[in-house]
Amino acid sequence: MRSLTEWESKALLGDVPRPREALTRSRAEAVAFASSVGGPVVAKASGIVHKTEHRGVRVGADVTAVWDQLAALGDGTVLVAELLHGELELIAGGVRDPQFGPIVSIGLGGVAAEVLQDVAFLLAPTAPGELDSAIARLRSAPLFDGHRGRPPVDRGQLQRILDAIGGLLAGDPDVVEVDVNPVLVAGGRPFVVDALVVRSR
Amino acid sequence: MEAIFAPRSVAVYGASRDERKLGHVLLRNVTTGGFGGRVVAVNPGAGEVLGLPAVPTLDEPVDLALVSVPAAAARAAVADAARAGCRAAIVLASGFGETGEAGQAVEQRLAALAGEAGMRLVGPNCMGVVSRHGDGWLNGSYFWRLPERPGGVSLVSQSGAFGGMFFAEARRRGLGVARFLSVGNCADVTESDALEWLAGDSATAVVGLFVEAFKDGRRFVAAAERCEKPVVVLKAGKGRAGARAAVSHTGSLAGRHGAARAAFARAGVVEADTADDFFDALQALAALPRAGRCVAVLTVSGGPAVLAADAAERLGLRLPPPGPATVRLVRELAPPFAAAGNPIDLTPQCPPEGFPPAIAAVFDDPAFDGVLVVNCGLDVPEFGRGVAAAARRTGKPVAAFVLDVPAVEAELAAAGIPVLGSPERAAAAYAAVATR
Repeated sequence: MRSLTEWESKALLGDVPRPREALTRSRAEAVAFASSVGGPVVAKASGIVHKTEHRGVRVGADVTAVWDQLAALGDGTVLVAELLHGELELIAGGVRDPQFGPIVSIGLGGVAAEVLQDVAFLLAPTAPGELDSAIARLRSAPLFDGHRGRPPVDRGQLQRILDAIGGLLAGDPDVVEVDVNPVLVAGGRPFVVDALVVRSR
Repeated sequence: MEAIFAPRSVAVYGASRDERKLGHVLLRNVTTGGFGGRVVAVNPGAGEVLGLPAVPTLDEPVDLALVSVPAAAARAAVADAARAGCRAAIVLASGFGETGEAGQAVEQRLAALAGEAGMRLVGPNCMGVVSRHGDGWLNGSYFWRLPERPGGVSLVSQSGAFGGMFFAEARRRGLGVARFLSVGNCADVTESDALEWLAGDSATAVVGLFVEAFKDGRRFVAAAERCEKPVVVLKAGKGRAGARAAVSHTGSLAGRHGAARAAFARAGVVEADTADDFFDALQALAALPRAGRCVAVLTVSGGPAVLAADAAERLGLRLPPPGPATVRLVRELAPPFAAAGNPIDLTPQCPPEGFPPAIAAVFDDPAFDGVLVVNCGLDVPEFGRGVAAAARRTGKPVAAFVLDVPAVEAELAAAGIPVLGSPERAAAAYAAVATR
């Protein structure tokens, strides 16, 4: 099993909604990109799993101050991304099942993903209407529909993310697992904030 | 597949004179089950078995060859059946793929041998076939107790022993059976082949499927989607044990059953969690028409009815309040402390003659697609007659839980209303017939 870096994983997912971000190979490159964003950024070490646990994610960081440290922690590059604030964290993903082939999933993300395990699975590619009925089966379904005056989650964009995951599994037999965690929902619009693709070789 | 479920002629390889041998049991089952077609005993050593002359090899083809010989001799038997031009063979013998890689290779060679001759192969490592045949049964299995009633329920099982559970439950519940096929290791014929054939079988109304691992998951989904009959699936092996260690959250959340859940949702099948659920669902689907999700819980027994209502809600059924006409009639016929919400509790103090019209009003209420009946200990025949008559007249599905009420239970049974083992199981049985 080989875990791809966040940057490689996102590249494989192709055209999905993401924050503005760049993989930087030097501190100067990182500073230049951060200033082009013009607001707070998050800096992430590259090429290590469980980045958060290893203090490889610095939110609202001064990239000048943390770049060397993060680069040393990971593979020598640092991913710098626009810091998004959202109202909801989701998890999307996919696995290749020995009996049923590619399946994709959608559910409640972040810390809740592990504790509540509120995730629905669908055969990929999904059929029309299946995403809606899968979401309706979740305990957290009301959160998708705009709980307490929040905007509902854009189902079309979610579908795009699931289609990208399913397409990746269908197109590359070596891809065995995909995590998109979190999918951050900001103003109803889902963004792929972190991604992990696991290949068999 | 026709040759497997509805053969006109059968050969038994391994037909032994020794009563303790399975080959003897199999031949006796075939000859005593009521199979009307030609039966040939194949055994190089025996001159005559159970009154049939035994032949060393087949000299003319039969539709179905049943192979009950030790694993080492199975290849020769399958080769003989293929040479003679049989249309299908069922290899009941064990000692193949279930024993490891070497056994798997032998099993694949058996399937290839059959395939080259255009012969379908069921098994190996299975219990055979039981299938309605005219007024009797083709019993091409090791099971010596046949179903008591013909009917619309068919079972396909990857486990032979589960077939024994099926026949015992069918007898206990009075379920009518059409077909049973034990597919064993599925070297050639899989659960999907059987499902495809049963979908077009006029004797089959409901299909049950016991599966440990789908041979071709996507083909099963396609077959179930095309099948217009209800399909109930019991999948064993959902636990974590034996699952591949996952790197991702998604992989770990999917476990061994996430994909099957996704597949069952696409396929539109009823998924049973336990053996009880499975047989309850088959019983309900065999007896009741499919209907909507709005149910009335009709009772004279408060607490148990609330359990049924709780379970119904958990299962995604809806319990709307009764319409004004129903409320008015319940108020008129039942005591003032009766509950005219949902559950509708007519109470044991309801005068017997009040039951039929009050029950009729509930069944006629357009708010309800069907009814859950709960009666613990009030053996008033009018209650049972009221439910039976209203169910027959309206055609709305009813599932019941009753306790210590023989007169009521007899009325329900005569109307074909399934009676389940607890309030929650009655709700689950209704949920099995409720359309999404």
